[in-house]
Amino acid sequence: MARIYVSTVVNARNDRVWARVRDFNGMPNWHPAIAESRIEGGEPSDKIGCIRDFRLRNGDRIREKLLGLSDYDMFCTYSLLESPMGVENYVATLRLTPVTDGDHTFLEWTAEFDCAPEREAELINNIGSGVFQGGFDALKRAFGG
Amino acid sequence: MPHIVRSTILDAPTGAVWNVLRDFNGFDRWHPAAAASSIERAQPADKIGCVRRFTLKDGSELREQLLGLSDLEQTFSYCLLDTPMPIFNYVAHVRLLPVTDGDRTFWHWESRFTTRPEDQKDISEMISQQIFQAGFDAIRRYLKEAA
Repeated sequence: MARIYVSTVVNARNDRVWARVRDFNGMPNWHPAIAESRIEGGEPSDKIGCIRDFRLRNGDRIREKLLGLSDYDMFCTYSLLESPMGVENYVATLRLTPVTDGDHTFLEWTAEFDCAPEREAELINNIGSGVFQGGFDALKRAFGG
Repeated sequence: MPHIVRSTILDAPTGAVWNVLRDFNGFDRWHPAAAASSIERAQPADKIGCVRRFTLKDGSELREQLLGLSDLEQTFSYCLLDTPMPIFNYVAHVRLLPVTDGDRTFWHWESRFTTRPEDQKDISEMISQQIFQAGFDAIRRYLKEAA
């Protein structure tokens, strides 16, 4: 099983960062790679089990299911239902933790999945450096560091 | 039950920070509150269950026991056995996590304890500032001097 761990620090309180990322249907508002998103069946985007159907700027279509969301612990866990990436059993978590020393936020984005062994390094790089770090860089720009 | 949580970011990889923190007998080398430290019965400082005896700068003594330590998770937990202050059931956890964006360290330090209601505010403030925050600042200086 392949594993990805990417983490960063954003120069803003965790409640402000959480307000930006908690909406399971809100990726286009903050992640530069996401073009559009909708929740299937007209369900609320914080209903556990809801499915987001979104499109990347490169045209790829992805469906993901919300497995867990906590405003108290500030994390969001979801699984991949459909994508052109060629991964299976993909589960990812985005978690925010306060840095009390200076009112910053520590963000961790992790994923586990299965794939063909020869594609593992490429997928880890695409998802970790591309999707996860790309999202972190956008948040850092939005909050000024 | 008071719950103190403090965290900081250090501009050093987790391995370098962990090398300093994992020594349960080494706090007197960097923490400003600790004047001297020894492990009772000459046990190794990474033996789970070992007890460290601290002499604080004001001459008072306290004893703490190592409850758990993991080099894989870069965490350790300890409890207070004896202290001159009215602090009871004190258990603390230290956890390091890598900040992959820049090869830095997220350091999370928390504790829970009980005390008399009239002492709760002062003791919480003391642990938060003089133990945890002062420890963060001291490690930052210690790593800079070591570099």
